[in-house]
Amino acid sequence: MNRRFVLALTLAAAALGGLPAMAQKSGGTLVQITQPEPPNLAPYISTSAPIGQVTAKIFDGLLEYGFDLKPKPALAESFEVSSDGLAITFKLRKDVKFHDGKPFTSEDVQFTVMEALKKNHPRGIATFRDVTAVDTPDPHTAIFRLSKPAPVILKALSSYESPMLPKHIYGQGDIKTHANANSPIGSGPFRFVEWRRGEFVRLDKNPNYWRSGLPYLDRLVVRFIADASTRTAALEKGEAHVAGLGAVPYNDAKKLALRPNIEVSTKGTEMISPIVELMFNTKLAPFDNAKVRQAISYAVDRQFAIENVWFGFGKPAMGIISSNFQPSGLFAAGIDFTVADRVERANKLLDEAGFPRKADGTRFEFVHDITPYGEEWQRFGEIVQQNLAQIGVKVTLRYEDLPKWLKRVYTDYDFAVTSNFLFNLPDPVLGVHRGVHSDRIRPGTVFVNGSRWSSPETDALMDKAAVETNEAARGKLYAEFVQKVSEASPVAYILEVRFPTVLSKQFKNVIDTPLGIYGNFATAHRE
Amino acid sequence: MKTFWSRFLGNPRVYLGLIWLGLLLAVAIAANVLAPTDPFAIVGKPMAAPGGEFWLGTDSLGRNVLAGLIHGSRATLLIAVLATLFAVAFGTFIGAVAGYHGGLIDNVLMRFTEFFQTIPSFLFAIVLIAVLSPSALNLVVAIATVSWPPIARVVRGEVLTVKSREFVQAAVVAGQGDAAILIKQVLPNTLSPLIVTGSLLIATAILVESALSFLGLGAPNLMSWGFMIGAGRSFMREAWWLVTVPGVAILLTVLAINLVGEGLNDALNPRLADL
Repeated sequence: MNRRFVLALTLAAAALGGLPAMAQKSGGTLVQITQPEPPNLAPYISTSAPIGQVTAKIFDGLLEYGFDLKPKPALAESFEVSSDGLAITFKLRKDVKFHDGKPFTSEDVQFTVMEALKKNHPRGIATFRDVTAVDTPDPHTAIFRLSKPAPVILKALSSYESPMLPKHIYGQGDIKTHANANSPIGSGPFRFVEWRRGEFVRLDKNPNYWRSGLPYLDRLVVRFIADASTRTAALEKGEAHVAGLGAVPYNDAKKLALRPNIEVSTKGTEMISPIVELMFNTKLAPFDNAKVRQAISYAVDRQFAIENVWFGFGKPAMGIISSNFQPSGLFAAGIDFTVADRVERANKLLDEAGFPRKADGTRFEFVHDITPYGEEWQRFGEIVQQNLAQIGVKVTLRYEDLPKWLKRVYTDYDFAVTSNFLFNLPDPVLGVHRGVHSDRIRPGTVFVNGSRWSSPETDALMDKAAVETNEAARGKLYAEFVQKVSEASPVAYILEVRFPTVLSKQFKNVIDTPLGIYGNFATAHRE
Repeated sequence: MKTFWSRFLGNPRVYLGLIWLGLLLAVAIAANVLAPTDPFAIVGKPMAAPGGEFWLGTDSLGRNVLAGLIHGSRATLLIAVLATLFAVAFGTFIGAVAGYHGGLIDNVLMRFTEFFQTIPSFLFAIVLIAVLSPSALNLVVAIATVSWPPIARVVRGEVLTVKSREFVQAAVVAGQGDAAILIKQVLPNTLSPLIVTGSLLIATAILVESALSFLGLGAPNLMSWGFMIGAGRSFMREAWWLVTVPGVAILLTVLAINLVGEGLNDALNPRLADL
């Protein structure tokens, strides 16, 4: 009677590891540049960007993902979701050993999800909120028991998002201050060897990796170079082979792309999907008026910002959900704010909203807070300032350090408009809902709903989409949701950043997952 | 014996300095006439090389570099001069009181001064801006805060030598109060080293302001030379003029101030100059 959807994932190794291993050149050392140096190597307690760039090579996830964000087998050979969506059964590989030689079993999955990630991981707390237990009927079966369906979990099981930890190591003592936080032990293609502070982390090939013949590389060195132009020079000279996620300034990446030995890829941010936005304080006049918010969204010249600040590494955002979700059917476009007559529309909306131009040509003024992430944000603020001057809105820029800015925006709500950088992450439940859901208006919690806008309809649509296991039905819910958010425009969604990853042509298959530089590099090899 | 003015103006290096500073002052005052548009306005194609439609080219967002240079002279000079005035006023007060009173007050004030002197001044300025948040007023406050200690020490030293002179003792005998003696008798005699130190301080203030702006800690709504260098440094290899133009302006201005400052020093201390 209980019909079961079986999402059969055929034999794991066949898909990836089974590629003709002989065709690739084994050996070699790949040098990756990561900026800044990670504070620790404990991906189970921090989502700090540089940590994952190192640890995703050391740990494995239950699943991996294709560029369409569809799951592929990894530590789990297959999984099966019950028809009511309340149980997910994972069949685990039997031949996996951690770097210390101990076998990987369902006990480790249970410990990782219930003890490590659900309690400590900044996003795991939300991802695994509805997991009530992980059953372990035998060492190679793990069953997630859910209080309500949570399709987001199947998007969040990569080695970057949910690294599987050995219980016999991280289960000993307090996980928050664990001795192995800076010398991680996992089951991934590379094992940790050495971390020389301020210089590099060295990872060597895991000779007992469960995908036979992999990894191809003998060694992976992650270097930390504080100065941006030195990083660019190292890549230019071939001293380093891969760098991404802002490690290379956008204009340098554009220049490096012209060199014959270097390739610049914009793939590998499909599970991160960063969006540049302008967030309004919707409780503060005049930004409590949707027409004003829409007018500002129309006025910003997205294409100019993409070309002159992000140097082409981006595309205009079409709404709250990134176009990276197009292959999985969750993307929908909202109002098009890039139309040719956008400036006239903006002027008209402001007239309608009751802000006519005064004698001096201005309508009103406000202070624009700049995201304190670096100079491209200052330049973006200057562009917004000039764009809004065209529609009679006078903008003063304010630049503060990160803690002050976070407190002003997410605790005190003492702002009018701020630029912001929010990631859609692998699923809208993780990266999108937080921006506009009423239960995410939480003073003191950063990168949630700082505009304090919400509506019962959009809340209901998000709540439905979060438990809807059918992708097509989810897509329909999100299409309606995107349109409603776009009409209210609590946030002006400006552009989707496509982080450039700079790659040496001496190596192939380095960026072959939607996680990009957060991938495990198992199949990377010399030319 | 030659007069101050003949000694000062008889120095050709002083002329060079004065000409540049006079030019700069004129540009700063007439900035809105010379470049009527907002220097932040996007007026042309980004990164246009000098010599075309825009004499000194455009920056990464298509802003006119010449307009930036003109308006920047105003911001840069204003911040530097104001900061110096504040630093001189406060430093003189502390130094004069400490030197004149001596004893415990001197000890306390000098330890206070040393406290400020022991903190590396540029790092201190960065911390102050980080705490106060970047704006034109806070730049003045930060630069003044890190610049006054040398003034206090110079003034104290001068006051110490002047106060033991006979005319001061005469004033005491005549029944003048402490404040009157300090202001009317002592301070006028400390002016020459003060003028020299103060004028050189303007040069330091310009450099500190530029360095802070370079690091992105300048006032975000104010076009200054440091801001221009900071915004242009990422493009040094493809658009040399973005850093070179304001860089040369800073170099020439600091040089001019130093020439004039040295000229003042020579004119005010003729015996040193003759050595």
